[in-house]
Amino acid sequence: MDLEDDTSVLTTLKSFNSFISHTEAPQRLSEGSAGSGNLQSQYKRSMELLEAGERVHSNNRYLQLDEEKKQMELSHKRARYELEKVASDSARDLEHEVDRNQDLLGRLKKFQERETEAAKNLSEQVEANRALRKNMEGLNRKLEERDTRLNTANQTISSLKDDIRELTQRIQNQDSTTSSQTLENQELQEQKHQEVSQLCQSLQAAQSSCSEHIVKIKELERRLALQEQDIAIVKTVKSEVAKVPNLEKDLKRLREDNAFLRKPEDLSREVIHIQQREIALKEQNYTLSSRVRSAERSQNEHRAELCQQRSKTLEEQKKRETQDSLVRRLQKRVLLLTKERDGMRAILESYDSELAPTEYSPQLNKRLREAEDILQKTQSHNVEMEAQLTKSQEETGTLKLQLQTVELELESLKKHQASAADSNTSGTKEELNILRQKIEDLESERQRLEEQNNILEMRLERHILQEDQLLLTRGLEPLGCTPTALQNNMFSSQDLRKRLFIKISVLQIAGHQKEKSLRYNLHLDSSMVPFIALGTEGDYDPIKTRVLHFKMNPTTVAKQQRQQDIDALREEVTRLSELVRSLQEGGAMVQGDSSINASLSLPPSKEVVDLRKQMESLELRNQRLKEVFQRKIQEFRTVCYVLTGYQIDITTENQYRLTSVYAEQMDDSLLFKKEEIESQGQLIKTYSQLTVNLLTTERWRERKECMEEG
Amino acid sequence: MTSTLNGITLKGSAELVADFFSFGINSILYQRGIYPPETFSRVTHYDMSLQLTTDPKLKNYLTNVVSQLKEWLFECTVQKFVLVITCLETNEVLERWQFDIDCDKSAKESSAPREKSIKIIQDEIRSVIRQITATVTFLPLLETPCAFDLLVYTDKDLMVPDKWEASGPQIIDQSEEVRLRSFTTSIHKVNSMVAYKRTDSV
Repeated sequence: MDLEDDTSVLTTLKSFNSFISHTEAPQRLSEGSAGSGNLQSQYKRSMELLEAGERVHSNNRYLQLDEEKKQMELSHKRARYELEKVASDSARDLEHEVDRNQDLLGRLKKFQERETEAAKNLSEQVEANRALRKNMEGLNRKLEERDTRLNTANQTISSLKDDIRELTQRIQNQDSTTSSQTLENQELQEQKHQEVSQLCQSLQAAQSSCSEHIVKIKELERRLALQEQDIAIVKTVKSEVAKVPNLEKDLKRLREDNAFLRKPEDLSREVIHIQQREIALKEQNYTLSSRVRSAERSQNEHRAELCQQRSKTLEEQKKRETQDSLVRRLQKRVLLLTKERDGMRAILESYDSELAPTEYSPQLNKRLREAEDILQKTQSHNVEMEAQLTKSQEETGTLKLQLQTVELELESLKKHQASAADSNTSGTKEELNILRQKIEDLESERQRLEEQNNILEMRLERHILQEDQLLLTRGLEPLGCTPTALQNNMFSSQDLRKRLFIKISVLQIAGHQKEKSLRYNLHLDSSMVPFIALGTEGDYDPIKTRVLHFKMNPTTVAKQQRQQDIDALREEVTRLSELVRSLQEGGAMVQGDSSINASLSLPPSKEVVDLRKQMESLELRNQRLKEVFQRKIQEFRTVCYVLTGYQIDITTENQYRLTSVYAEQMDDSLLFKKEEIESQGQLIKTYSQLTVNLLTTERWRERKECMEEG
Repeated sequence: MTSTLNGITLKGSAELVADFFSFGINSILYQRGIYPPETFSRVTHYDMSLQLTTDPKLKNYLTNVVSQLKEWLFECTVQKFVLVITCLETNEVLERWQFDIDCDKSAKESSAPREKSIKIIQDEIRSVIRQITATVTFLPLLETPCAFDLLVYTDKDLMVPDKWEASGPQIIDQSEEVRLRSFTTSIHKVNSMVAYKRTDSV
């Protein structure tokens, strides 16, 4: 097309150029022709030119239009082409969409099928759920039943456990009772042994005292012999003293006789001799009198000693009697204990026969035999002790007899001494004093030694008890500390067996202990009391040791502090109780007793203060309202009275008095009573109105009459 | 100081024993909870960590007692040293820590030091204090408020110092006793023991 366009343009150009050349040629030609013909030729030329131009123009136009047409056609084609493209595209799209639609439709169908299937499944599952729920309910019921059964089982279990607990408690109680019984048995045996030991001690003491008595009696006999000698001496001296006045008389006679005969020197010598003799005699007399007094004193003291010894012997007799009775009781107790032991042995043997022989039976048998041996030994020992007791009793009887004889002799001696009043020498007195001091010292020493002995015995017993406990624990190890071996079968019977073996071992150990204590009691010399550090808790020898502590020690400080706290708390409690009482009483008298409240130092709470303020304000308001009301009502009443002419007063509870201004006298009034609330009130109102009207009408009439008159 | 020498003199032995008592009492008070644990501070002694009280009154009391005890140990007149724990409400003795002291009086006459290594003595003391700490496992709990007292068993003819007075032995009626280890400085021998009230729990 462009080429065609170009060619058309070129052709047009060529034609135009050719035309122009033509026109030029003719122009040239025309120039050579005449002038007149120039105008026409020029006109023609111009007209040809114009036509050519118009032709060219139209050709151009035509070419333009052709070009436009071609362009249009091109554009048409392009458009068509594009449209076709688009159409094809759209057709393709349509096809695609159609395909899609088909796909979607297919899918829709599938989904609908699936939906139906799902709905079917849902319904099936719902049915299945219902069925499952029913099953669940059934299972829940079963579970509940089982729970109830479990609860009942638990209750039975708890009740059984309680029963078990009770039974165990009973068993424990029984164990405790058996143990207490064993302890009692032990204690009884210990008591018996203690009493036996005490008896031995008392016997020893009696023996020693008897020996001391014998010694004293011998001494007294010696003293009596000495006193007899002294009495003889005193008698001789007395006789000499009695001779003294005779001698003096003789002296005087001799002096008188010799006053004439002898020289003064011889006289003086004789006088001196006589004086010396007098002095010697006086000295003898003085000494004799002093000896007599001392002898009297010693006699009195001897008498007192004799009385004391008599009383002591009586006491010892009584003690011996009580000891005899105790020995008899102890013998009875021993019999009872042996019977119990036999019974326990029988039980043991029965259990032994029931149970199969275990590893421990030979050991236990050995122990049994050992226990029996020891018991036999203790029994024999007891028998020996009893024999000793009887021996000592016999000895004390003989000693009693000796004492009685000695007493008789002493009484006889007393009588002798009473007659001979001045026969003792100072030497016997000194000897007696020395002897008395020795006796006192020995007695004090004896007491001290007895105390020490008792303390040592206590300590020894405790020590022995400790040892026995250790033995017990050791002895029990093979028995009790292997519970697994023993728990297999027949638990209760083995338990009982254990306990019985424990009892036997306890008795065995008690026998050991008593032997040891008896040995210690018999062999401990009271003069040798070493301080034995036994290591038991807290024991000490009070003679050699003292326990000290700081005065201000934490315990006393803590106790004081505690006491102070307690006192302070008590004071506070009393104060608070008083406060409470006053508050309870002062609830009614709040206003007046502010002083008491302040003294009790309770800070008034905010609420109380606020409430009080409110109360005051309300009271003030109340009072003001009262005053205002009073004033107002007074005003109102006066106004009513003035305006209406009637005054209503309340006389008493339900009575009202009506007085009128126009009454003739002050006392004229109408009284009304209010009997019932509403209905009568109305009646009364109407009644009163009527009366009022009557009154008014009467008054009016009167006034009218007055006015008419006046 | 005895730590620099290998030998133990009577004075040195008295100091060692008094030190042991001071630390031992403190650790007993801490372990048994007589005083609140926050009133104790940790110190190192005998190559182990021990608790010492910081309460001034208690410190003062302990120093007074231990200093007097040191004198008596030097004079070999003390036989036992006892710590008694009493319940304040019932005035019952609940625990009794007893230390028996055996003194070799021949050391008083001769002033020659005895050969015993201080390290060995300290090892022995350490084992005793460790045992004291271990007793907490079996001693019954002290649930009520308690107070303690220190008693000294001395010879009777000793002059009682000013601030001291005579006291009873304060024995527990039904007691369980446990013997602990002992240690010796070759002049003084200390045996330890604790007695506590039997708890009758079923």
